[in-house]
Amino acid sequence: MTPQAHLYFEDVAVGMTVTTPAMTVTEAHVGIFQGLVREPGGAPGVVPELIPLCLAIGLGWRAPAPPLVVLAFMGFEWEFIQPVHVGDTISSRARVLNKRALREGGVVVEERVILSQTGAVAQRGRFTFLVARRPKEAAA
Amino acid sequence: MTDLRRYFEDIQPGEEYESPGRTVTETDIVIFAGLSGDYNVLHTDAEFMKRSIFGERIAHGLLGLAIQAGLFTRSTQAYATLAFVGLRWKFKGPIKIGDTIKLRAKVVAKKETGKPDRGLITLQRTVLNQRGEIVQEGETDLIVERRP
Repeated sequence: MTPQAHLYFEDVAVGMTVTTPAMTVTEAHVGIFQGLVREPGGAPGVVPELIPLCLAIGLGWRAPAPPLVVLAFMGFEWEFIQPVHVGDTISSRARVLNKRALREGGVVVEERVILSQTGAVAQRGRFTFLVARRPKEAAA
Repeated sequence: MTDLRRYFEDIQPGEEYESPGRTVTETDIVIFAGLSGDYNVLHTDAEFMKRSIFGERIAHGLLGLAIQAGLFTRSTQAYATLAFVGLRWKFKGPIKIGDTIKLRAKVVAKKETGKPDRGLITLQRTVLNQRGEIVQEGETDLIVERRP
């Protein structure tokens, strides 16, 4: 079989760390986001706090690791530590903190940080996902 | 120009706001997928989602969160917000294409911070769909200026 395409609950190990590629946050991201949600602009050059968070999720799909089979994003706790500015280049790192089996799948808690190009932590927190178990026909 | 923003002193625990409704469209989801780069099948594969527990594509959780942030600004006179510093959030149910969501927000705490020119306001927020079901809820912490 080809390299694993998906990461199921059984494949998740506490301590697993994934680092995403980086992305430069532009004026276009700010404009599209503000148009989409109608959030009025803040200080010029400062990126609305939710944009880096949204981009970090997308960057997670581009990480050099098979994606987690997420059934539902259950919730998260998040801190905005310092502002991200237009022109900054962000990346994200996730580490599995714990996992808990349920009858249908399991809960995985990840610690995530968003880093700027200097390596400073711009945002950080914990994500909780409901993750699928490996289906019988996909068993290794 | 008159400053109509509400300062830390003006905002009182117990204040409640309700936003107008906003219908979440397929276009919102497509634009958000493009913006965020999150093309998960949950949001982009109509055929796959027909066979899922949801029966159809659902909006990204963070799209709902972003839309409620915009709805907040339409719910009340603007706060003199300096920064959004944190949140604790739960995604309780799906937002589907064509659903109309609105925000209910309540000031639940006001705290001093280390700096004399600002304070921390905590809002409890509930996002409801057209059937009154809670789809998202949580608390957000904002740093708000004191009146100069």
